[in-house]
Amino acid sequence: MIVSRAPMRVSFVGGGTDLPDFYKRYPGRVISTSIDKFVHVVLNRTPLIDKISARYNIAETVDYPSELKHTRIKAALLDLEITKGLEIGSFATLPQSTGMGSSSSFSVALIKALYAYQGKRIGKREVAEAASRLEIELVGEPIGKQDQYAAAFGGFNIFQFNADGTVDVKPILLDYKKSFDFQNHILVFFTGVTRSASSVLTEQKSNIDKKFETLKEMSDSVPEFEARLLKGDIKGLGGMLHDGWVKKKTLSSNVSNSVIDGLYEAGMANGAWGGKVLGAGGGGCVMFVVPPEKRAAVHSELIKKAAGLDLAGAKEIPIGFIQSGVEIVHNSDKNISL
Amino acid sequence: MEDFIKDFARKVEDCLENLPAEEIAKAINIIQACYERDGRIYIFGNGGSLAIATHWVSDINKTIFSHHLDHPGRRFQAIRLPSTESEITAWANDVGYDMVFAGPLKNYLQETDVIIAISSSGNSENIVKAAQFAKEQNVPIIGLSGFDGGKLNELSDAKILVKTEKGEYEVVESAHGTIMHLIVKYFKNYFDHLVEHRAAK
Repeated sequence: MIVSRAPMRVSFVGGGTDLPDFYKRYPGRVISTSIDKFVHVVLNRTPLIDKISARYNIAETVDYPSELKHTRIKAALLDLEITKGLEIGSFATLPQSTGMGSSSSFSVALIKALYAYQGKRIGKREVAEAASRLEIELVGEPIGKQDQYAAAFGGFNIFQFNADGTVDVKPILLDYKKSFDFQNHILVFFTGVTRSASSVLTEQKSNIDKKFETLKEMSDSVPEFEARLLKGDIKGLGGMLHDGWVKKKTLSSNVSNSVIDGLYEAGMANGAWGGKVLGAGGGGCVMFVVPPEKRAAVHSELIKKAAGLDLAGAKEIPIGFIQSGVEIVHNSDKNISL
Repeated sequence: MEDFIKDFARKVEDCLENLPAEEIAKAINIIQACYERDGRIYIFGNGGSLAIATHWVSDINKTIFSHHLDHPGRRFQAIRLPSTESEITAWANDVGYDMVFAGPLKNYLQETDVIIAISSSGNSENIVKAAQFAKEQNVPIIGLSGFDGGKLNELSDAKILVKTEKGEYEVVESAHGTIMHLIVKYFKNYFDHLVEHRAAK
């Protein structure tokens, strides 16, 4: 049995500039960190059963990978020419579509595990590239590459997306004090509304030409965010998140909606320094930067507002920043060939 | 005599002033990620470097947690390689000194682990062989070297090179001792903060 895991992420500024229609014309940049929420993928070799099983929110058992409903597992198995005798399960700390990149974390963990299953140990960059190829080229999703890289590398990073398709990874070497301090100012509130990134990004993609200057400003704000982060200027970071969010809302009509706007305003009115929606938008989580003394007030107002908006399942999600990226956490498979 | 003392101190000071801070920070991140996934840290070197490795193992396993020895949380797991004299002599006598680290490493090394290799020249064959094996296994390598860094520096993910003239073993090993303590102190403070921060919640 092989167990791999990949972390989810929160991104701060530059989201949307990882789409090829943008970065083919101007370098896209995103700054993000991995968090202590994971997607685990479990592979079980079944040499005596000539089937493929996939267990996620449903269970599928098929004779050939091409019959699978799960698009990513299907495409990955076909690509790696794995035809039978394998069970694949996935387990996550959080539901899908919360805006923390979990679907790409799944792909990253899946790729890492499938290569291990074939006896290959591949590095972070190779995993990120293979997961991006899986989602964007093989499955044809209209998404960018920031989540695959964030899940594979782990820690605070700046990813730069170059016109030739390459990605530069710059780790931000933040000491534990600044990291904890920033973390203590972060409040992530789940709206209870889930949406797929693809639906939001499809419109956003078609608007890239019109919004080119805005996206350029978003990409260019990444180095300033890094500088403030290294200085420990958390109030300034909050302000930058707010500015970025105001810009992001103009990219597509469905990035925000009345629910998100209502929660965001409630947070800001009660002392948050700034914030944004995590992920492509349209639902998921709202993240705030809040001074610790205002945290309780913001939290209770958000709960009140969510109740007023009839949001079932809305709640705060405590998060911690981590350094880990994708990894194999268990591999007893090699014992088979003793 | 005083001139000699001052001259040596100046050489060490010069190295300390020019420590590769970014590479040391990368090493800290690599160790942090290893701790989060409950991996192991294998540390090794020859002669004086082996003494630094042994000291480092002791500090990682115990000193980092000195203020919280009763704390039930996860600890670091560091292992000096080879962990027994019998293995060193068995590999050296039966196979060759070039295999004293790579040999035992093959028994243990998992993808979740990290290695810290220490070599002033960066070219000791047994160190290079062990680093090459770790590289093949996709295990992160923290390399502490001196002089021009040698092959170890090329192979490492965190390239902690204390640049000196060739043959300055004493100066390099003094700086390596400081880097070892610096990383230990960082994690000692980190762990204190972690425990106190959690206790406050």
